Order: sequence, then C-alpha cells, then structure tokens
Amino acid sequence: MTSILSLKDAALALDSNAGRVEILHGITLEVHKGETLALVGPSGSGKSSLLMLMGGLERATGGQITALDQNLSAMSEDALARFRRANMGVVFQNFHLIPTMTALENVATPLELAGHRDAMERARAELDAVGLGHRGDHYPSQLSGGEQQRVALARASAPSPQILLADEPTGNLDQSTGEIIMDLLFDMHAKRGTTLVLVTHSNALAQRCSRVVRLRDGLIADATDAAA
Amino acid sequence: MSFAQASRLARREIRGGLRGFTVFLACLALGVATIAAIGSVRAAIEAGLATEGAALLGGDAEMSFTYRRATDDERAWMDQNTLATSELIDFRSMAVVTQGDSSDRALTQVKAIDSAYPLVGSVQLDPPQPLDTAMAGQDGLPGAVVQELLADRLELEIGDTFALGQQDFVLMARLIREPDSSGGFGLAPRTIVTLDGLSNSGLLSPGTLFTSHYRLDLPPNPDLVALEQDALAQFESTGLRWRDSRNGAPGITRFVERFGAFLILVGLAGLAVGGVGVSTAIRAYLARKTEVIAILRSLGAERNTIFLTYFLQIGMVASVGIAAGLLIGALTPILLAPLILSVLPFPAVFTVYPLPLFEAALYGALTAAIFTLWPLARIEDVRPTSLFRDALGARTSLPALRYLIAVALLLAVLVGVAAWLSGSTRLTLWFAGGVVAAMVFLSLAALGLRALIRALPRRALRAPALNWALNAISRSREATTPVVMSLGLGLSVLATIGQVDGNLRNAIARDLPDVAPSFFFVDIQKDQMPGFQAQMDANAAVSKVENAPMLRGVVTRINDVPAREVAGDHWVIRGDRGLTYADEMPANTKLTAGEWWGPGYDAPPQISFAEEEALEIGIKLGDAITVNVLGRDITATVTSFREVDFSTAGMGFVITMNAAALSGAPHSFIATVYAEEAAEAGILRSLSEAYPNITAIHVREAVGRVSTLVGQLANATTYGAAAILLTGFLVIIGAAAAGQQGRTYEAAVLKTMGAVRSQILSSFALRAALLGAAAGLVALAIGLTGAWAVMTFVMESDFTVIWSNALIVVTAGLMANLLAGLFFALPSLGVRPARILRARD
Repeated sequence: MTSILSLKDAALALDSNAGRVEILHGITLEVHKGETLALVGPSGSGKSSLLMLMGGLERATGGQITALDQNLSAMSEDALARFRRANMGVVFQNFHLIPTMTALENVATPLELAGHRDAMERARAELDAVGLGHRGDHYPSQLSGGEQQRVALARASAPSPQILLADEPTGNLDQSTGEIIMDLLFDMHAKRGTTLVLVTHSNALAQRCSRVVRLRDGLIADATDAAA
Repeated sequence: MSFAQASRLARREIRGGLRGFTVFLACLALGVATIAAIGSVRAAIEAGLATEGAALLGGDAEMSFTYRRATDDERAWMDQNTLATSELIDFRSMAVVTQGDSSDRALTQVKAIDSAYPLVGSVQLDPPQPLDTAMAGQDGLPGAVVQELLADRLELEIGDTFALGQQDFVLMARLIREPDSSGGFGLAPRTIVTLDGLSNSGLLSPGTLFTSHYRLDLPPNPDLVALEQDALAQFESTGLRWRDSRNGAPGITRFVERFGAFLILVGLAGLAVGGVGVSTAIRAYLARKTEVIAILRSLGAERNTIFLTYFLQIGMVASVGIAAGLLIGALTPILLAPLILSVLPFPAVFTVYPLPLFEAALYGALTAAIFTLWPLARIEDVRPTSLFRDALGARTSLPALRYLIAVALLLAVLVGVAAWLSGSTRLTLWFAGGVVAAMVFLSLAALGLRALIRALPRRALRAPALNWALNAISRSREATTPVVMSLGLGLSVLATIGQVDGNLRNAIARDLPDVAPSFFFVDIQKDQMPGFQAQMDANAAVSKVENAPMLRGVVTRINDVPAREVAGDHWVIRGDRGLTYADEMPANTKLTAGEWWGPGYDAPPQISFAEEEALEIGIKLGDAITVNVLGRDITATVTSFREVDFSTAGMGFVITMNAAALSGAPHSFIATVYAEEAAEAGILRSLSEAYPNITAIHVREAVGRVSTLVGQLANATTYGAAAILLTGFLVIIGAAAAGQQGRTYEAAVLKTMGAVRSQILSSFALRAALLGAAAGLVALAIGLTGAWAVMTFVMESDFTVIWSNALIVVTAGLMANLLAGLFFALPSLGVRPARILRARD
C-alpha cells in the first residue's frame, strides 16, 4: 500500500516555566493512502500532539515527518500553511469556527485562502452535503454544537483534501449527534477516498477505523487492524 | 499574500464590533483632536494676522528709521510712491503727575502721531470720541490718551494733567484699542500724543532713543516686492527698515509659529501617551483573537495574510478614531471662538483649516502605526497549536527584525515630519529624544518596580491585603506597565513644565532683582552726566553706578556680504541694536580673544564683539562689520571678543567700538543704578525732577511684567499637558477596565477563602494607589531631570526643586490611579463567587 504519511522516530518536547516536558518519544508510524486510522489512549498519552505533528500544526523536536513525499520538518511555517490548505483538512473537538463569520463564510475561508474564485459556490455545496444548506447565513453562536461541528466538517472537506485529521470530533457532542458526525466523516472517506486519521476516546468509533494505534506515555503501545 | 483576501477577512472580522477598541479610539481621537485644535488655532491667528496685516502695520507698508526722522530725499520718495503718508515717533519716556510738592511717575511707551494717523482702522477711546478731538486737548494744553494700566498706576482721571518731559498734557480719554497694536508684550503701557504737542517737551533732542515710522497708503494693488526693492536700494545704507502688509506683524507671526510648534510637540507627547493606550488595547484585542488567528493558520493562511488582515482591521478602526479627532479638533476652536478671541491679544479668523487637520491626521496615523506594529508583530508567534494547548511559556522576546526596522523608520518619519513642520529641528529632536527616553525609562521602571516587589521579604508583612496588592503588581505586566507608562509620561510632562516654570519665575522674580540693577536710566545727555553721577555718588543707598554712551545701529554687512546672508535670522542683526564706545578698556571687561585698542586710538574703526554671539553668527577676529548708525555706514574690524553676561540684566553691549569711531555722532548715555529697594522711589523722584528728559526703567516693575508673561505662556503649556494627562487617565481607565474580569475572579477566589469585602477592597485600593504613586515618583524623577537639563543647558540658570509642584505630581498620580482602580473594583465585590467560578470551569 502507498504511504501518505510517514513518521520516523518523531519526538516532541515543549518548554514550560516548570522546565522541559517530553510529550512524544520517537514515534515511528506509516499511514497508508485511503485508510482510516484511529489514535487512542488515555488522557495525556500524546494522541492530539501526534495528530498535530501529522498536520504540521506542531513542529517535531526530533525525527522526521513526511506527508505526500514532502518533509514537513524542513518546511517553514508559511510553507506548512500552504501545504495544509492544498492537502489537509482538520476537524477539532471544540469546532473552532470563526465567530464573526457566517457558516458559509467559515466554509469558504480555506477555499478563498487557496485562491478559488468559486469559493462561495463550493462552500454552499459542502454545506448542502452536511445538510446545512439552509443555515449558511447563520453565525456560529446561532448554531447548535452538532451543527457547528457539521460546519467544521464541511470546512475541512471543502478543499477536497487528501488527508483529513480529526481531533476527538465527537468529544463535545451527545451520543446521537456524535453518531451523525461520524457517519458524515466516514461517508466522506468512502465517497472521496480521503485518508482519515482521528483521535478518539470512543472504542466504538475506533472500531469503525481500519487500524487502531494505541499510545501510552508518548509511545506507541500497540497497533492493530480493526478487524483483529 | 493577497490584499483582497486580507481585506475580505478584515471586513468579516470587524463585524464583531468595536468592543475593546473604546480606549484605542478615545486615545487616538483625543491626541489627534488636541493637535488639530492647536494647529487650527495657530492657523486662525496666522490668517487673522494676514487679513489684518495692513491694519496691524498701520498702512500698506512702513518705513522706519532709528534715532532720526526721514530726510528730505526719503520724504520725496514717499510722496512720489504713495497716496498718503503718516509719520509717527515711538519712544519710551516717563509720565509724571505732580500734585503740590509730591509727584508720581511711571514709564510709558509714547506714540507721537501726525494728523493722518491712523491710515487704516480706527482708535477706540473711552469715553468714545474722535481721536482728533482727544488730541486737540483743552484749556490750551495738548491732549493725550493713555492705556488704562497707566491711568490706574498714576491715578489719572479724565481731565487731569500729566507731563512728558517739559510739556504738560491733559488726559482726554483712556485708550481701549489702537488698530496698529498687535499684542501686549511691551514693557510699558501706551500713551498717544501728537508730534506738535511734543515739540516743546525737549524729549526728541539729538541722541534721544526714538524710532520714526512712516506708514504708507499705497495705490490699489501695489507691487510690494518692487517697491521694497526700490526703497531698500536707495535707502537701506542709511538705515531704512521696511515692512509691508504681507507680514504686518513679523514678531507676532514668529512667536505664534514657534509657540504653536512647541504646543504641537506637547500635543505629540500626548499622542505618545495615547500610543501606550493604543498598544495596550491592541495587545488585549489580539489576545482575544488568538483562537481565530490559530484557526486561520490551521486552515492554511500565511503569516503575511493574517498580519495584513489585522493591520487593515486596526487601520479601519484607527481611521474612525482619527476622523473623530479631526472633527473634534476642527470644531472646538470654532465653537470656542468668542471665548478665545476675548483672551487673545491677536486677531484671528476661525474656520476649518485643512492643513493643520492634515498634519494632525498624519501624526495620528503614524503614531497609531508605530504603537500598533509592535503588538501586531506578535501575531507571528501565534501557531495553530494555540487551539489545543495554552502557550506553555509566554514569549517576551522582541518582534522580528523587519518589524523593528519598520517601527524605527516610522518613528524617523514622524520626527522628520514634526521637525519639518515645526521649523525647528533642534527643538523637535530634543523633544522627541526626551519623550523616547522617558518612555524607555518608564518601561524599565515598570519592570524594576515588579522586580523590586518580588524581591521584598513578604513574610514580614502581616497584612494580607497589602500582600495581595504587592503580588498583583509584581505578577501582572498588563496591569503595571501601561499604568506606569501612560500616567508616568503625562505626569513627566506636567512635572517638567511645572519645574521649569517655577524655576524660571524664581530666576526672574526672586533671583534677578538680587543681581539686577534697580534702574536703567536712558537718554541722559552728555552735559547731564556729571550732575547725574554726582547725585548718585551723594546717595548712600546707591551701591554702584555704571554708565556708557549709547547709540543704536543696524548691522548691515559682514565682510561686505549682506548680514542676513551670513547670520540668517540671528537676533543681533534683526533690527537695530544698542552700541557703545570706549577708549580705554572698562575695568569690568573680560577679553576672551584678541586685543583691546590702546588709549587714544584714532585709526580705522575697531570692534570688540560679544564672544557667544560672535560664535553663533560665525564672526572671527579680523572680520569686517558694517554698522549703520544714524544713516551713516561705519565699517570696523573685529579685533577682540568679550564675555558679556546678559542674564543679570545689567549693562551689556554686543558691539563696542573705539571711541573715535562713534563719539562724534549725536548720542546720549545709559546708566544702571544699583540701590537699596527702600531708596528706589526717592532716587526716581529726585532724578526726574532734576532731569525731566531722562527715562527711568524700574527693573522690579519690568521683571513683574515679564514674570506675568512667562506665567501666561506656562499656563498655555499646562493646558497642553492637561490634555496629555487626560489621555493618560484614559489609558489607565482602559487598563483598569481590561483587568476587570481578572479582579472579579480574584475577588471570588478570595471570598471562598474567607476574605471579607473590606479586605479585598483594601487590596484593590492599595495596588492602585501604590502603582499610581510609583508612576508619580518616576515621573517626578524624569520631570526633575528634564527641568534641570532645560534650566542648566538652555536657560543657563540655576535649578532648584519646586517641592509644591513635586508633591502635586505624586499626589495626582496616586489619586488618578486610585479613582480609576476603585471605579472598576467596586462592581467586582458584589458578584457571587459561585457564578464566577462556575463560568471559569
């Protein structure tokens, strides 16, 4: 299988007022094109940090990270931003919509940043795809949590990224709303062939992925195929 | 980076409203409004002076001569080129009122007029009457009108008589307004009489110090440039001075320009204080926007796009602030026009003047950019990880080099523009240097204060409220630095002005009379000198008498080049100056270079020049200086330099010539008399009775008038400083408002731990008072240093601390911050802890 994301001995340590904190210790992992991968583990095990390293949202302090044959570790902040907007979508647990923009504008923003002239039309189509076409002119504060996460999902998928990263996408939602979001995520993966990496505490959700990687204390404890 | 992208994002972001920008807008608007208002008032006065140019001058043009009236040739030129000419003579004299055996006398500035006066405008008298009627007098005595100050001083009523020299005049009216008077800077109140009335006074004898003015009524649309050139070509060498309605009151124009420029610099200091508020507001705003910035980064926005987005957004808000400031600054002078005109001694035309508004807008935009760039540069530090992790350690490093360069360039542009527009690079650089140094010092002081408090052995303190207050000051940069900087800078300017004003007034009113003579006597004729000297020698109360021959002359050429081309606008070559001559070197003369001519020297003329002024102009030993004395050019070689100290108000001449060069010209003597204060009235009385033509200038009275004038200038400057302080107050209100949420949370936590409201309130009050007092103390240190520098290096005078002003500054700092702090602290005490703590979860 073709590797789309590759981590070799990736490490992350951060400085704090209390001293240096080691978060990830030499993670080596291959993510294959088109697969769905769940990162699981207890709180503080480094799941979200690993996801952020994969998205170039965090810079590794050791090792090497490659995405689509590009070395993320060697890229500048702006080069990473350009790479992300061309190839990656990110969904957060807290949705992170821009409060001063309508749902439609939120979805259109990555398309506009990528220079698409038809950003608004495409954004409208993406909102329709998540069932929120009628809520395009509403601001985030006027939407429910589930609706906000659907807008976030539409925003992440609007530029048709090859890789979709989701950090506990159902963590702030009730069970039924969470299931709707998960269905949308997996539908998108199925229809567009997007590689999906998600962080979750939910075993049920992890089991829907083709592979599960378990982390403990900043290290990979084990990796299993979902079917196993 | 796409401008379109950034502007689209900025437009969307600004929909969030202007919340958090209140202080930003207020600081910018107030700073711009202050500068716009000062500039508009200055433009209004300049327009007034230009419009009233002919009236202020008393004609379309004026030809003046020192010591003499116009010659026949000169009169012929006037007759040939004008429709009408009015002659007047201006000089100082003593007005004397005699009642029985006693007499009272006062210095007055006499204007002796002909029947054509005034060519332009009209004289306003009380009781109202035509000037001709007043001048006609009554009971065979010529008439006179005097300013109220002189009438009050001599207790003169309408119909009373007084003498000028040997001529009695009857007071016909009080002088309310002369059309050709443009201000109240003279040392003596005005008296107007006719030339004919003065003819038997004995006051205009050869050698008397007087100036003759000829006001010219020219044909319509005169070519003033050509006329001036023609007149100067024919008569400049004989001492003609020319003025015309293009600049009717050059002295006032210069004063208004310079004082206006100074006040605008004070206004710029206000903008700098506002800049601290701007910077604090932007910092707080961007802190709230960290999440949005991180989202945009995660969506693939480049740093430049995000920077431009917020730069444009803040630019839009700044434009609103600047526009509001311009509106306030343009309208305030117009609305207050009647009030301003009632206290202004100059004419002014109040309307909207675009140029000062443009100047204020430019300063506002540059200041906003300078103080915005620094915090905006921190946008680069915001990374997408901020979305899921708080910054583990807040970075305090400097912004990227390109931003530092941009800030430095903008600062250079601001200073450059200010220097260009103020017309004084030196003043602007001193001012800018002072403000920047004060800001750096205040910033370091804020850091030092926090470090000092951290280092205090706190265990010894048994007062929890004080402990909490000290902790709050030492831990929070946001609560400390803006307060110390904004309040401190405002108070620094106030302290500097207060100390300089106090020292200057002390130097003039308290110290000067100790070293200055009691009297200047002028117009002493040569044959009166022995008697004058004898009378002084016989008076035991007189400790010292100095006298010197006195002529007046105009420096026209230096090394055969027109003096203005060499010396520019130096005061020595501006108008006529007092000259003296001496044969042997006077006993108290101190030569600093060259040699004195020997006794009895009678060869080509030589000059001993004042050293400091020679250095300023660039005159060297051996240079040839041409001085026009009574219409005759005398060219002399500079053979020595002398030390001349003008600060003691004693006798001091920039130019001293060898006796043979000048002694043949008609002239009088000047004398300074040092005497005990109690004996001054007696000296004046006996001398005036013996020599009615002699004019006495009572130094103590003159000092009083100068001191009042200095006070008025200081008051005007204090209004500027008040605007700065108001801006500073806005900034501390902003800082207090920004800390409101934190204080409410702190109060909630303290309450859960058992603190009662009085303890919490004490803690909040203490931290505000301590911080305010600290800002006041630092400002005082800066103010004292600044004032010491001004007094020592600019005024070349002694400096002493004016403690009353110092106390005001520290108290003002303490009270201002205490008020702002308490205003925002009180609401936080009433909130129930559970609600606040739950909201934080």
